[in-house]
Amino acid sequence: MTGLLLKNVSKVYKEGNEEVKAMDNVSLSIEQGEFVAIIGPSGSGKSTLLSIAGALLHASTGEVIINGTDIASLSEKQLSNVRLKEIGFILQTSNLIPYLTVLDQLLVVKRMTGSVSVADKSFARELLTELGLGAKLNNYPSQLSGGERQRTAIARAFMNNSSIILADEPTASLDSNRAHEVVQLISKEVKARDKAAIMVTHDERMLGYCDRIYRMEDGLLKHVENHQASV
Amino acid sequence: MFLALKELRYGKLRFAMIGFIIVLVAWLVFILSGLGNGLSTLSAATIKNMDADYVVFEEGSSSSFSKSMLSESISSDLKDQANVEEMAPFGSAMGAILKEGSEEGEDKTDVAILGISPGTFLEPKLIEGKPLDEKNQLGVLANDTLKEEGYTIGDTLTLDGSTEKFQIIGFVENETYNHLPVLFTTLDHWRLYNFAAPGSNNGIEDVVNAFVLQGTDIDAAELDKNLDGIETVTKGQAVNGMPGYKEETGTIYMMLAFLIVISAFIISVFFYVLTIQKTNQFGVMKAIGASNGFIAKAIVSQVFILSLVSVLIGIALTYATAAVMPDGMPFDLDVTLVIIFGAALLVISVLSSLFSVRKITKIDPLTALGRVE
Repeated sequence: MTGLLLKNVSKVYKEGNEEVKAMDNVSLSIEQGEFVAIIGPSGSGKSTLLSIAGALLHASTGEVIINGTDIASLSEKQLSNVRLKEIGFILQTSNLIPYLTVLDQLLVVKRMTGSVSVADKSFARELLTELGLGAKLNNYPSQLSGGERQRTAIARAFMNNSSIILADEPTASLDSNRAHEVVQLISKEVKARDKAAIMVTHDERMLGYCDRIYRMEDGLLKHVENHQASV
Repeated sequence: MFLALKELRYGKLRFAMIGFIIVLVAWLVFILSGLGNGLSTLSAATIKNMDADYVVFEEGSSSSFSKSMLSESISSDLKDQANVEEMAPFGSAMGAILKEGSEEGEDKTDVAILGISPGTFLEPKLIEGKPLDEKNQLGVLANDTLKEEGYTIGDTLTLDGSTEKFQIIGFVENETYNHLPVLFTTLDHWRLYNFAAPGSNNGIEDVVNAFVLQGTDIDAAELDKNLDGIETVTKGQAVNGMPGYKEETGTIYMMLAFLIVISAFIISVFFYVLTIQKTNQFGVMKAIGASNGFIAKAIVSQVFILSLVSVLIGIALTYATAAVMPDGMPFDLDVTLVIIFGAALLVISVLSSLFSVRKITKIDPLTALGRVE
């Protein structure tokens, strides 16, 4: 299958002599074209879930299947390749490379896989224009507004045409207008490009853009049937 | 390369400052190597120029020409030894010369007076004038630096503290001995000058300081066993036996070694600090899929580009310095040495960047998640 599948995944951290269960038997399946939100208080384990789904952490038990491949047995190097080819990360605002222009932020992802073709360049331009950054291609991150930076990060996540998009608090440092704009754009691109997407957020105003909503609490993942009711 | 160049261009000031330090270190390294080379040439050029393999000294003279006295009578025995292809006697002395007829109080010139047999392989190539001749005992070949002091072919020279006279019949180049320009004279005339005082030759007939041998397969120990009272050393050892030679070159090479070690530390610490500053950035890059190799390549190529440019600027500055240095400075830039030291600086800076690379491999891509800066 394509998309992302978590089967009975648990993650246990050792803190001194105590064992902390950050994820407790979590199962989650996301198909292409689905945009899923995970909400929950801090320390609930939602970051751990994103790390495991994003091939940054190994699960203690359970299966993590990305595009049909179980990543449990992969080496560090293979994991970084999975991240590069299969996963697009949208990280927090400041996580752009300061010395690269908006266009180069996208092209560097291609550099990691080898070389940059003319087609890659026009794809990067197309993406950035779609996200309203057509006039800012040669600007450095320090010359952009918070919203523009986050839109650049979104474009970067879509650059490798990976099947999975993971967003980590993408609205954390934005005002509410910008935040709506950014999540709307993510949702639009996920639908248009048929990606399986997870967004971890504190911001419950953004849930209207998502297809399904889960709440994480003390390592347990619960489906929220009607988010309006839960707010 | 891509990241390296982009970052170099973006952080011009920061990298210019690091580059400037590498330029200064490289500049100093090259100037010291030129100075070292110049000093060692001045100290022993004549010996180094000799197309010889071994030098025979008197036993107990510790490879010093001035301490060694041998009789020329053993020359035929030496020639008969196994593997000795050519042999030439050699004598050295110090002196001060004055142009004949010059007025009282005029400057004297210090010179080294070297006695050789005309026609042997020790006679250097002329750049001007006529070669030494046994029939013209007055004639000497002078190093061309004496021209700058106003000496010309045909000048008669009086020797300070001696009744002997010389006449310049030719000029040679790059012949210095004990930091002094050389006058080549015949062995006979050298003996007349050097052993004018009765008994100063220790009673040895036809005294010379040493014999210079050609023959790559000579067994020095065998030679010392077959002939009494001699000590055979390689040409290199004879050069090291020149007064002050070891000390001078030793000092310079010690400074060079320290400089290179210091530059290695400076470069590695600079880049290590830069790497630590960028830990989060590298974490993000790893999270979006950059391999360790990708980031390591960026850092190593950055160090390489920066060092290469800096070393090249250092070389340019060194040649510029050499051009404005006064003529008398013992400064002699050897292209091979410049290339060797330049390459050494490059290799060392690249190696020192590996320290940062080790740091990168330890950065956890998880640092990219869940952090608001």
